[in-house]
Amino acid sequence: MNLENDLKRALRRESPAPGFAGRVLQRIEHADRAVPVRRPAWWRAAAASVTLGLVLGGYATHKVVEYRRGERAKEQVLVAMHLAGEKVRYAQQQVHNIGSHD
Amino acid sequence: MRKLILTLALTALTLGAAAPASAQKINLDFPGLADRATEVVDVTLDASMLRMAAKFLSNDDRDERAVRDMIAGLEGIYVRSYEFATEGEYDRGLIDRIKSQLGPTWKPLVTVRSKTKENVNIFANMQGEKVTGLVVIAAEPREFTVVHINGPIDIDRLADLEGKFGIPNISKGRKDDHDDDND
Repeated sequence: MNLENDLKRALRRESPAPGFAGRVLQRIEHADRAVPVRRPAWWRAAAASVTLGLVLGGYATHKVVEYRRGERAKEQVLVAMHLAGEKVRYAQQQVHNIGSHD
Repeated sequence: MRKLILTLALTALTLGAAAPASAQKINLDFPGLADRATEVVDVTLDASMLRMAAKFLSNDDRDERAVRDMIAGLEGIYVRSYEFATEGEYDRGLIDRIKSQLGPTWKPLVTVRSKTKENVNIFANMQGEKVTGLVVIAAEPREFTVVHINGPIDIDRLADLEGKFGIPNISKGRKDDHDDDND
């Protein structure tokens, strides 16, 4: 029985302190009125320029690296094909020489 | 969803089955050999590098165009070439080591044995009538060269390339240069 009374007491409806609703409304109103910090136009232009510069710089660097890799790959292909061709040609010549002796 | 998984599984199986026939990896690592050599050529170009190189080969130059056509469809080019100051610097067993890696589809095309000049072994990976890979092993007393071309290749056209590219003397990079490249 005591427990029931304790629970009733603990869960009983209580009115807020006087002025509570007014304070809540005042805060909401204040939050709505808060204006975001606006940076000056030159600041935004500078940020855009820096971003653009970084993007273009990164792209240019990527292109240069890719160009160097491509040129190196091309050089390697030419060396490889030259060597392979040289050896195959030598072997073919030896076979032709044997054929011409017969 | 089930259909997609089944399709993917079948594709993977098909690719897996096709891979050993065309894309055989051959180990061309020869530890310590570069250290003893005076000049070294080490070229490793996989399919993506070959595609990139193809973009840089000129369309206007006849020779470069020929090379570009030839490397289209290749899966890799691997070259190891070593030149030594004195004879007997490399183990002739290396040749057998390479040969032993070649599977049953690899057929010897040409074997040149010379007492004075270089010995050349050419092996082709045959898929029916098509050559889908080439290994060239050239052994001289002071020079050892292995070329592995992985993919379909026209051997006659390859032989025709010799001495072209407008490069008067493709000398092997000095070992110092090679070392610098690796730095």
